[in-house]
Amino acid sequence: MSKSRGVTRRQLIVGAAPIAASVPFAGLALAGGKQREATHLGGHGVAGHAAMIGDEVPAPGGPRDLDPLTYPAPALPHRPGRIREYSLVAQDVDIEVAKGITYPAWTYNGTAPGPVIRATEDDILRVDFVNGGSHPHTIHFHGIHPADMDGVFEIVEPGGRFVYEFPARPYGMHLYHCHATPLKKHIHKGLYGAFIVDPPEPRPPAQELVMVMNGFDTDGDGENNFYAVNGPAFYYARYPIRVRRSETVRIYLANLTEFDLINSFHLHGDFFRYYRTGSTDQFDYTDTVMLCQGERGIIEIDFANTGRFMFHAHQSEFAELGWMGFFEVED
Amino acid sequence: MEARSVAEGEERRGARAPGRLWALVPILLLVAVVSLFSARGGSLLELVGDNPPPADEVDIRRVELSPGEISIRVTNPQRDELTIAAVTVDDAIVPYEVDGPSTLGRLRSTTLVVPYDWVEDEPLAVGVTTSTGIQTTEEIAAAVETPGPSAAGFFGYAVIGFLVGVVPVVLGLLWLPSLRRTRPEWLAAFMALTGGLLTFLALDALAEALELQAVLPGALGGTGLVLLGVGASYLGLTFVSQRFAARGESRGGVLGGLALATLVAIGIGLHNLGEGLAIGTSFALGELTLGTFFIVGFMVHNLTEGLGIAAPIAERARVSLGRLAVLALIAGAPTIVGAWIGGYVTNDVLAVLFFGLAAGAALQVVVEVGRFVARRAPGGLTSGYVVGGFLAGITVMYVTGLLV
Repeated sequence: MSKSRGVTRRQLIVGAAPIAASVPFAGLALAGGKQREATHLGGHGVAGHAAMIGDEVPAPGGPRDLDPLTYPAPALPHRPGRIREYSLVAQDVDIEVAKGITYPAWTYNGTAPGPVIRATEDDILRVDFVNGGSHPHTIHFHGIHPADMDGVFEIVEPGGRFVYEFPARPYGMHLYHCHATPLKKHIHKGLYGAFIVDPPEPRPPAQELVMVMNGFDTDGDGENNFYAVNGPAFYYARYPIRVRRSETVRIYLANLTEFDLINSFHLHGDFFRYYRTGSTDQFDYTDTVMLCQGERGIIEIDFANTGRFMFHAHQSEFAELGWMGFFEVED
Repeated sequence: MEARSVAEGEERRGARAPGRLWALVPILLLVAVVSLFSARGGSLLELVGDNPPPADEVDIRRVELSPGEISIRVTNPQRDELTIAAVTVDDAIVPYEVDGPSTLGRLRSTTLVVPYDWVEDEPLAVGVTTSTGIQTTEEIAAAVETPGPSAAGFFGYAVIGFLVGVVPVVLGLLWLPSLRRTRPEWLAAFMALTGGLLTFLALDALAEALELQAVLPGALGGTGLVLLGVGASYLGLTFVSQRFAARGESRGGVLGGLALATLVAIGIGLHNLGEGLAIGTSFALGELTLGTFFIVGFMVHNLTEGLGIAAPIAERARVSLGRLAVLALIAGAPTIVGAWIGGYVTNDVLAVLFFGLAAGAALQVVVEVGRFVARRAPGGLTSGYVVGGFLAGITVMYVTGLLV
């Protein structure tokens, strides 16, 4: 009667056998994985940017709903002391930030970005601001103005009213936004817009456009889910902007993107003059410019060729999340 | 006389019929009250608090990769309906087609097909965004083509399952001759070792089931599913063991010998189903190293399971090789089935159920083993050999488990 004491040799071999046997099979399992590479041939998905905007073929022009934000009212001649009046109402509105996706935004006059405010230098700008929203708001303008018209200390409660009045200076491309706290939220929820001040000497005639770059964080994780210009993501990719080659295209560009440190503008197929802030006649000649939040400028393009040219942020992620469009350049 | 009693009987029956109808009244009234509350209760709830908007997170059930295409199966886990509005891959919005509805009611599913040129072996992040802009993301560690059913894959999983499940158990059964020559106290210790082993497996499976159910959407009632699995297998095996007892293997209602060994084999088999599931799922998700690790680890782990099956039959005079082979198959073959399921189906809800089943089965067998030891071991349940054996069983499982 032998008792099982300790580990017999047989038990040791018995125990080791499965481990020894497994080694070649482990190799088989790994090799099986590598063999899959051979099957990935030619099965490429739909490529190209047209695919990013879905099955809609780019339709130049398209619905005219973004026209008030895309095409600004023309510049008025220099007449110091003229009053330029605007009425802005803060409203809580659900806006469409991408096809089929809505976002509860805070807006000036129902759109994010808000309406384009334009004045000529030395005009008296009078903005009648009524807060129709559910939180306190202000309007802070970029430019030169008195301290009590700055939109920082005079908080307008819901239902309240404040009239901002100051001479519009200096000339250039500026912007306005809410400066109530928390600042990040009041900006990224949509309270911003373009503010153009025209120089006393009118700029040469051009086809004028306004582009306010922005982003939307729809799931509240502190990162933008969609990037856009003036309206829903991919809008100008779906509806290219029609321009003529015969006349300069002037874009008043501003960056109001929250959460990301910088945004950019890149034009395909051509170069442009870039007047940083538009307050001097200094310009860069390039095809890509970088803007931080609050930076803005004036782009002037003299298209050399006709056809469809893309424009987008050169952060590829922003482009693929909605900040891209086309120019349809015609003779 | 008879006519009168018949008439009386009819009268009583007639009197009873309205009584039966009366029994329906509480149910009907309940239905009425509940419907009323569901329809109008919102205004009542407004008195006590505000309902937050729905979370609108989708449950991404399965992402399948084929050349040039990503296929995403999504389910709506919440009470309110949601609409899928955008799909992103690696932070880029991509065009997609919906194979099914875009607006999903509660617990409804649909498949999103994205033509995409994914890169082999590189990480992939798939996001699904609802109409309220809420994005749910699924990260794939390394993109590999999802193996569709193929003869080679089927065979491969079967061989792996055989290797992990059946082979170690057979090897463990080879301890049977050695066990036959041991003293009764030591045999009791080995039985207790089986008990400790199975207790470990039961707790292990239960923990795995609870962990898996925690990431399921709440609407699916994960904990209930676990309880269902545990209860079903525990009671199912109790029923089976009663049938075995009726066949005369037992003494005084306590299972012995071959019947107990069969029960142990069933319990281990269900646990091995879970192991096969883990292996199959790893390979299906492209985690080849993890899967290989599982294979080696489980093989060592399962050797002691063979010992657990051998211990109850050590007392019997002879057990035919055929019977032993059957026991090994009962314990080991489910690994093959688990590997097939994990490799081709990968359903997170089924996984919870399977682990619950495994836990319940193992628990039931522990109870049977305990009764056997209490009855047959010299010194009963509290003898040093039994206690030591039980603890040794847990320790052995723990140590071999560290390898996995």
